[in-house]
Amino acid sequence: MFELVLQAVFSGVLVGSVYALVALGLAVAFGAMRIINLAHGELVLLAAYMAYVVEGRFGLNPWAAIPLALVVVVSLSWVIFKAVDRIREHRELNSLILTFAVGIVLTNAILLIFASDVRSTSSPTLQDAISIGDLFAMKGEIVAFCVSLVLMGALWWWLKKSWYGRAVRAVSSNREAAGLMGIDPARIETTAFLIAGALAAFAGVALYTMSVVQPAVGHTFTVKAFIVTVLAGVGSIPGVFLGALLLGVTEALTVTLASSALQELAGMVLFLLVLFFLPNGLFGARARRG
Amino acid sequence: MVRRILVSAALGLALGAVGATAGHAQSATKIVIGAHMPLTGSLARSGHAFDEGMRVALEACNAAQPRHRFEVEEIDDESTPAKAVSAVEKLAASGAAAIIGGYGSNIVGPASDASDKLGKTYVTAGAVSDELTARGLKTFFRINNNAGYQRGIAGLITDLKPTAVSIVASTKEAPTLLAEGLEKELSAKGIKVTVHKFDPAITDFKPIVNKIKVQDKPDIIMMSAYENDYVGIVRAAKVLKPDVKLIVGAWSLATPKMSQEFPDLMTNVVGTSFLPFPVEVKSPEGLRFAESYKAMYGKEIEYLSSLAFVETMVLCEAMVRSADAGTLDKGGLPAEMRKTDRPSILGRIQFDATGDNPNFALSMGQHRDGKIVLVSPKGAATGPLVYPGLPW
Repeated sequence: MFELVLQAVFSGVLVGSVYALVALGLAVAFGAMRIINLAHGELVLLAAYMAYVVEGRFGLNPWAAIPLALVVVVSLSWVIFKAVDRIREHRELNSLILTFAVGIVLTNAILLIFASDVRSTSSPTLQDAISIGDLFAMKGEIVAFCVSLVLMGALWWWLKKSWYGRAVRAVSSNREAAGLMGIDPARIETTAFLIAGALAAFAGVALYTMSVVQPAVGHTFTVKAFIVTVLAGVGSIPGVFLGALLLGVTEALTVTLASSALQELAGMVLFLLVLFFLPNGLFGARARRG
Repeated sequence: MVRRILVSAALGLALGAVGATAGHAQSATKIVIGAHMPLTGSLARSGHAFDEGMRVALEACNAAQPRHRFEVEEIDDESTPAKAVSAVEKLAASGAAAIIGGYGSNIVGPASDASDKLGKTYVTAGAVSDELTARGLKTFFRINNNAGYQRGIAGLITDLKPTAVSIVASTKEAPTLLAEGLEKELSAKGIKVTVHKFDPAITDFKPIVNKIKVQDKPDIIMMSAYENDYVGIVRAAKVLKPDVKLIVGAWSLATPKMSQEFPDLMTNVVGTSFLPFPVEVKSPEGLRFAESYKAMYGKEIEYLSSLAFVETMVLCEAMVRSADAGTLDKGGLPAEMRKTDRPSILGRIQFDATGDNPNFALSMGQHRDGKIVLVSPKGAATGPLVYPGLPW
């Protein structure tokens, strides 16, 4: 049993790291603009298809798709931002409708262009098994985990140390006050949306290398990202990472100790428990009080 | 897409020319068939394959007889039951003489109920739940069923005489039904069976496969699931390398597409099939289907497209008989459907009192170096099974 639990925790951590990558983009955009981008999962999906194009058409390693994915997804993210930014009334609610519609359009565009087939990497290198003691993983999962860690660290550093990062946090705390301090909120919000797009690009390529993608799975990514964001609490980058790992490990342990049919339910129960007992999230309460 | 349009246009022109030459083009009566398919949403992959098979069959129906001109009016049900019901109502209102159904028992169920209330004959090849034929609908017909899949898989597994089998099953209706049926049948034969049901949303199968490896220790892993799940399960198995001898699956696994997309994962994996690959069709109808399919879509025939082809052919032929007898608009189509008794690339097609095809049975095909070899039952085999045989 110990062997099973250990492998489950290991698998959960690896999957959780990618959940974190997906959630981070949603959290950054939400933190800056108080807007939930319901098309975020579709942006992740689009990046995954860029990886498919680069691997399938040009025979390159899927990670070589990062420049293409960045250009495509960040550009689209900017377009979504511009559309959201034009909303003058009830921005929170209307942006939900707008981004939901964008998600549907993107899903169907992907369906038209790439057909409905299941896609995933065929790279033997990424699919190869790697063992760390008695623990097993795909090489692709280890690479995705490392990429997630690096990006998480970079983003945390950027938000803490750079002027732009501090400006994002200032706008997130109080848009008007930040404006009075000489920060241009519109510019900062644009930056946050572009960063969210870049994170979605990395997340999509990571998902393609370790999982399977289909046109219909975009909203699943959005839901996962939303759960992680709520678990973490707004404004906490380490919180997003730990919340995502917690979700991944909870799901994997549910499969091992109970039933695989309950995996998704376990994630939702965790989500509801946190909402009920810690409405500010696992790591957001202290910051909110401060 | 451009190729498809050009080929369709060319076929249409050719057929039109033949019809005009024969002097029948003007006199042919138009019959509209309604169809709802999941062209978008989670089942879009299956919907498109069905759509392709149906369209090839319609071309064949129109070419086969000059008296009636079949046209299809198709609505995307977006993989949802509510949209499927509304599609059936809309199709019936716009004059469809019969409905070709979609994919998934949970969608086909309410859609065929609606069709029955409207008095329209409903045919499907995408819903295998036993509950569908237990409703007693007089207008419901299907060419495949859970029993056929179960027979094929249980036959192979029983022949291999394993001591233990682990079944990894999606909690969707059809995979669950198949898993439960196999568990019952194999357990009755003294085989230890463990079922691991999983939520369709999961993508990491390592915890399940690790349980199979450490606790179950089976000879065979059986997957009752769909394409995306197969990839995840086999990939997890390739990482954890449980001490099994064979990996078996159900529908949409032993297909050329899976072989082309995931060559490293599919080697030696076995799934339900009725044709080897490269395709070796012997019947004239099968050959015509393969040629037309390749001309229209530029690829070899697909598993789901073949099902759609057969259901559409059967429906068209019954409609022709009914129209010729003058009963098509007088509720005579179900009776003509029940008279169906014909060979097909799926085997003999007949309908019992519940509208089910009692003859439906499948072979088992094994992926081997980009080919699919039929390995079971012995009568249909095109080669021996590689056993033990694994993708690693």
